[in-house]
Amino acid sequence: MTDTNPTVVLHTNHGAITLELDAVRAPKTVANFLAYVRAGHFDNTLFHRVIDGFMIQGGGFTPDFRQKPTRPPVENEATNGLKNARYTVAMARTSDPHSATAQFFINVADNGFLDHRSPDAKGWGYCVFGRVVGGTDVVDRIKAVATGDRNMHQNVPKQDVVIERAEEKA
Amino acid sequence: MLTAAMAPTLFISDLHLSRDRPELVDAFHALMRGPVYGAAALYVIGDLFDSWVGDDQLRQPLAAGVAAAFATLAASGTPIYFQRGNRDFVLGQRFAAAAGGSLLADEVVRDLYGTPTLIMHGDQLCTDDIDYQRFRAFWRDPVHQRRTLALPYFVRQGLAMLFRAVSQRATADKPPLIMDVNAEAVAAAMRTHGVRRLIHGHTHRPARHELDVDGLLCERYVLADWYRVPSYLRVDAAGATPCGFEFAP
Repeated sequence: MTDTNPTVVLHTNHGAITLELDAVRAPKTVANFLAYVRAGHFDNTLFHRVIDGFMIQGGGFTPDFRQKPTRPPVENEATNGLKNARYTVAMARTSDPHSATAQFFINVADNGFLDHRSPDAKGWGYCVFGRVVGGTDVVDRIKAVATGDRNMHQNVPKQDVVIERAEEKA
Repeated sequence: MLTAAMAPTLFISDLHLSRDRPELVDAFHALMRGPVYGAAALYVIGDLFDSWVGDDQLRQPLAAGVAAAFATLAASGTPIYFQRGNRDFVLGQRFAAAAGGSLLADEVVRDLYGTPTLIMHGDQLCTDDIDYQRFRAFWRDPVHQRRTLALPYFVRQGLAMLFRAVSQRATADKPPLIMDVNAEAVAAAMRTHGVRRLIHGHTHRPARHELDVDGLLCERYVLADWYRVPSYLRVDAAGATPCGFEFAP
């Protein structure tokens, strides 16, 4: 990665996580993510799905568990060769490969099975577009919180893990 | 943004939206806010609502909210097409207009990325269920519909509740095979319309079937109902893929 890559700080109630985004290898995904940051979309959203040994997912739900309106989906750039390695950040999506909007996840393990394998619905994979360059200890704290079921969702932290503010660094 | 060439066509059916299942209504709105954005078209092929007593049901906040969400999508540039199901068989032009979409005939053929595809709710294929087909023929009759729709709203609500109770009792007594599609009816429909792909809902038996019609390999996709897991069928040049819309890795 280069010095020109954008950096975003997620200020959570467990501490700050700094993400360096790879605008060269995932240009559309980074532009999409930054648009949400700039619009304040991530402010006061949850890490609502936390699975130790796998990943922590957030950016879509408010603390009262309402899904926030999103922009149109972004093209899946998982063909860029970036790996779903520990402390990388990637886009969450539905089973439709090109359906990512706002929700993202931070890998807390090497999850090679999430990488691109083939250009179809089964093998498209999940697009990595950055990595954690500060606050890995915060990620480790979040992955270890107690979770349970809430509404129709599983693996939801019992105590809210909140992204209070997402801040773009120049 | 998705490029136009990639934009898929999405199909949903058998949502059975009602006040009894608020989580399905939430799921519907989540679909409208997210995955469906930018689609080339959205087809809603029956049983959007668990019961529909006439387009004046738009007075219900639930129905009005659903129509408004469709209208927002339509305004963003995605055309929306509706077919009637066996639960919402009196869904009409007024609803379609409020939702920014158009009401289709019970059976239509559309060219989807080069493959002519027959699209229908699917209840008309369950020809082994003679009681139901009799009921369907009666209520699809325009004269009976006009007469019924002229009844006061609350009377029609009562009728709908009665139908549902009778239908549930009848369904519980019927062998499951009778309530699936009839293989001959499927072949006949595909032959009549000259297609090799059929997409329908209704049976709540999501699957992709391959079948031989007059020596031609044909496909039949059955949409999933939302009772278990909300989902949609995504169709593009590469084919058809059932998709849940829980955001996840």
